Formats: sequence, C-alpha cells, structure tokens
Amino acid sequence: MSTQFVQAVWGGVLFGSAYGLMALGLTLVWGAVRLLNLAHGALFVVGAYAAYWVVAFLHLPILVGLPFGVLAAAAFAYAMHMVFIRPVIGKPGFDNSTLVATVGISIAVSAAALLIFNPQYKVVPPVLSGSTIVAGVQITYQGLLVIGTSLALFAIVYLFLTYTRQGMAIRAVSQQTEAASLMSIPVVQTYGIVIAISGALAGLAGVLLSPSFFLSPNSGFHPLIQALIVTIFGGLGSIRGALVAGFILGVFESFVEVFYGVGWAQPGVFVLIILMLIVRPNGLFGIGEVRRL
Amino acid sequence: MSAAAAPVAAVRPKVDQDAAPWRRVPLVAVGGTVLAGIALPLVLARISIGDYLITLLILFFMQAVVAQSWNLIMGYGGIYSFAQVALFAVGGWTTAVLAHSLGWNPFIAMLFSPLVALLAAVGIGLPTLRLRGVYVVLLTLAFHELARVFAVTGPRFISGGGYGLVSVPTFSFGNAVGQQRTIYLYYLAMVIFGIATFAIWRVIHSPLGVAVTALRDSETYAVSRGINQFRIRMILFAISAFFTGLAGGYMTHYNGGISTSVFDFPRLIDLLAMIVIGGWGTFAGPILGAAIIIGLDQYLVAIGDYRALFEGLILAGIAVFAPQGLWPVLRKTYDRYLGPEPPGPPAPGLPAPAQAVEEIPEIQRGGGLS
Repeated sequence: MSTQFVQAVWGGVLFGSAYGLMALGLTLVWGAVRLLNLAHGALFVVGAYAAYWVVAFLHLPILVGLPFGVLAAAAFAYAMHMVFIRPVIGKPGFDNSTLVATVGISIAVSAAALLIFNPQYKVVPPVLSGSTIVAGVQITYQGLLVIGTSLALFAIVYLFLTYTRQGMAIRAVSQQTEAASLMSIPVVQTYGIVIAISGALAGLAGVLLSPSFFLSPNSGFHPLIQALIVTIFGGLGSIRGALVAGFILGVFESFVEVFYGVGWAQPGVFVLIILMLIVRPNGLFGIGEVRRL
Repeated sequence: MSAAAAPVAAVRPKVDQDAAPWRRVPLVAVGGTVLAGIALPLVLARISIGDYLITLLILFFMQAVVAQSWNLIMGYGGIYSFAQVALFAVGGWTTAVLAHSLGWNPFIAMLFSPLVALLAAVGIGLPTLRLRGVYVVLLTLAFHELARVFAVTGPRFISGGGYGLVSVPTFSFGNAVGQQRTIYLYYLAMVIFGIATFAIWRVIHSPLGVAVTALRDSETYAVSRGINQFRIRMILFAISAFFTGLAGGYMTHYNGGISTSVFDFPRLIDLLAMIVIGGWGTFAGPILGAAIIIGLDQYLVAIGDYRALFEGLILAGIAVFAPQGLWPVLRKTYDRYLGPEPPGPPAPGLPAPAQAVEEIPEIQRGGGLS
C-alpha cells in the first residue's frame, strides 16, 4: 500500500462524505417538494457565516457556533419557503418560478454576505483540531468528524423518514400529494418542514466543511454544483443514491486527482456523469424519468 | 400532355388573418423603428452626452441579442440552459484568437464566432437535450464551469496567461475616429440586433416555433402528434447559440479583448433578470428587459454593492408574484387604450370559433422519496 493509494482512499472517503452531506438536503427537497433548490448553496453559506459570526464577533467557541449556524440556515430556509415558495405551490409554472426565485435568492445571499462581511476569505475554526499520521498520510480529526457526521445524518434521515409520524407524512406527501391531503396531512406545512430540514442539513455542511474549503460570499456555488452532480448521479429524490453516489464520485475524483493531477478531477467527474446519464438516465437509484420535471 | 399536365403552381393557402395575428404587424411601425434607429445617433451626436448614450445603445443591442436568444430556448423552448454566457464566450474567444494570434481582420474573424458557437451548442446539445429540467441545468452549468476553467488554464494563446486575451484588434472603419467611429459601431450593432430580432421573430412564428411552444405546453400531446422533440430542441438551441456567438464576437472587438470575467455569475444573473423582468416567453420581453436593466444600471451604480442584493430580491419577487413579467402588462395597457379595435363577433351563420379548450389537469406526478 503506497502512500499515494492511502492518500487517494482517504481523500475519496472524505470528499465522498462531504458531497453526500451537501447532496442530502438537496435530494430531500427534490423528492418531497419537487423543488430544484438552486439556493442550496446559499443555505450552505448562511450556515457557515452564522457560525463564523458567533466565533469571530461573539468570541464563543465553535461548539456554540455550530448549532447556531445550523439553526440560522434552517430559519433562513423556512423564511424562503414562506415568502417565495409557498405562494406558487400547486400553481402552473411552479418549476419556472422556483428556479428563477432560488437563483435570485442565492444572488441576494451572496450580495448580503459581501455587504455584512467583506470579500476576504474567512476561516471558520474546525470543531476538532489536530491530526494523526496513518501510513504517511495526514488524517485530520475534523475529517473523521465529517465522515462520521455524514454517515450518521444519512442514518438519521432514513430512520426519520421510515419510522416517525412526521417522516411518514413527508413520504406520503411526496408520493401522492392529493391523497395525503385527503388524509388531512397539512401538505404546505409539510413542505415547509422539509425545506427547513434541508436548510439545517445545508447549514451543518457549511459549518463543518468551510474549515477545509474556506468561506467567501461566493462559496456556495461550488458546493451547489457538487450537490447537483451527486444528486443526479444517485438518482433524484433518492437518499441511498446520494450516499452511494457521494462516495463513488468522491473516490473517483480523489484517485484522478492523486494519480493524474488536480486539473483532471473536475473534467473527469463531468465525463463520468455524462456516461452515467447515457447508461442510466435516472441515476443509480432513480425512479422513472417520466414522472419528473 | 400539355395543359392538363402543366405543373400546378404551388399555391400556398392564404392564412386566415384572425388565425395568424402576427401577420398584422404594421409595416409603418417596423419602418418607423428602423428609421428612428438610423437617425438616432445622428441626433445624439449633437448633444454633449451623446457619445455616452450611443455606447449605451450599443450595449443594449448586444445584451438584447443575447437575452433574446436565451429567451428563445428558455422561455419558448422550456430548456433550462445555463450555457448562454459560455456560448457567448465561445463566440468571443473564437474571433479573439483568430484576430489576435492569426492576425485576421476583425470583420472576417467575427463571422466565425457564430459558427463555432453553433458547433459548441451541438456538442453540448447532443448529451443534454434528450434530458429534461434539472439535468439540463446541471450539464449546462457544468459546461459553463468547464469553459471557464479552460479559459483560465488553457493553452497560452487562449488563456493569455489566465486573464483572457487583451489587445485584440478593434473594428476599424477606414479612417473614422472618435465620434464618427462610435456611430459606425452603433450601426454595426444595430444591424446585428436587427438580423437577430427578425430571425428570432420568424423562428417563433414558424412551424418550428409553434412546435416548440407545443412541446413546452404539453409535451406528451406534442410528441404524440409526431413532433421530434430532440431535433426541434437541437435546432432551437443551435439558432440561439448562433446569435449569442455573434454577439460575443462583436463585443470582443468592440472592447478590444475578452477577459475571463465574462464567466462571472453576475453576468448570467443580469441576463436572467432581463428575461424575467421583461417577460419570460414573450417576444418583446427580453428586449424590454435589456433596456430596463441597462437603463437602471446607470442609476444603480450609485448604490454599488446593494445592486446585486436588490437584483436578486427583485428577480425572486417577480418570478413568484408576477411570473409573466412586464411586457404582457404593457401590452394589455396598449390594447386597452391605444390599440386597434378587436375584431367583432363572428358573422351570424358562421360557426363560432372554438372556445378555449378546457384545461386538462396535469397528471399527478408520482415519484417521491426512496
């Protein structure tokens, strides 16, 4: 086992967990609300900046900043739902309106971040610092935390959707909106809850990942693209798919990066996704294309 | 076999005027607009800020071309392509490389921009246009990103060392300099704008355009009536890319260079704002939108960084609360107060025109979480 190989595996698992974490919220919202949330990256930025604010201006430890960031992102997502998503639910042109609206929101968030903070890169402190060396590769504790959190969140979301009352309501709404509303499930409120949960997940990803990706007003764009890629690769609306696709793409990217150079990683991933869409247009775990947007 | 076998002249059935309202565009209005466009710079040249206004108009023409092309695929075609700016850049880079590295005349080099942009569009379209909605968003954004990375890190004759190509030769019109040159530049921009607008108008009101709208409004029905979705989308995408590339070529020589900042997200947002504010899926909407955004921009400079914030919020607000944009509102006002009388009720004896087809409820989309 050469150092390079270990490096690639570690990087891949780390990237994979990070991608999965970012994609989880996106796929959840798509599956339940049928909303392509292009403001998902903005939620990521909101969470990260909120945590940064707590640490840098209130001088509190990051362990306080983390829940604050998560709550801020969830609250922001819920507000977005109330103002911009709720009015168009069930109307024709929902797709167009929400697509443009979420793009608009992400612009507004970047602009607001630029106004409140400044364009300089911010450093959000890692929750866990320190590292250890395994087979010549530096393993950070923060990285282990990201991997653990990501796996745990997938498990939690899965259990939540499968076994809790609220989770079942969400699934019912996503499968048959009308039947669900006849069973007196408050559809619009359920949508709001899903969007808020997805905001919390994006915020958590933002706080945990920004120590390694740095934070600037435009930091949301790259995670959004990654989350979209992972979600599509795994199959839109599929939670298992997001997990598996995150790891596949992460490991693939990491191996390309280690063995062929950083420049090839992104093009390689795009080629992979195009091939994937040719072979399985619905992604790994996707359900029929006909049923979608 | 003489008279009887004489080939029957292909007589095109006369289109019913009421069935084809677009044929009722008054020539006077079109001619008047063109004449005004020709006369405008000559008038503006006499006032002190005329040069500035002419440059604004040039900018308006080009942005309007790009916005219209985008609206053609996004508003009419329902293809959520975010590759518009990348195609603009492809056009820009083509002519820049030809003129800069090979020393071609800008006028000749510019002719290649739309062609290369068209080829690029075919390249993106082949994997993308068979897909729908969100997949198109992703793949076109990916193309945007790849094009940006290539423009920054590509070979030196393309990247110019990471900042783009500077010192690309600009247009030269004989010995014209200063204001005279600006006026020539204006006319060139106006011609491009005119050609693009006319072509897009024709496309929208051709069988192709009708097919596109049908696909957008009821895909299942349109496909079942024998419309080849992929081919139609491809043609539309190619047309859109053609004019976008042309605008890219013009802007490169107009600015005397092209930098990687064309890929910046705010540029994409400006274009999107033009379409959304003007009127998504209407013919004149993007033109109106371009005029509004470019006009407002001059005032919004004063509020600096708040501009993007407001733009984002306005975009979101219009998309949700007034998804039709401004053009339909204007149109309605015009029809109510200034427009010609609407055609009267059908003469008795004729069958009444079919009433609006009862709206078919959209099939419940299943799917869900798994």
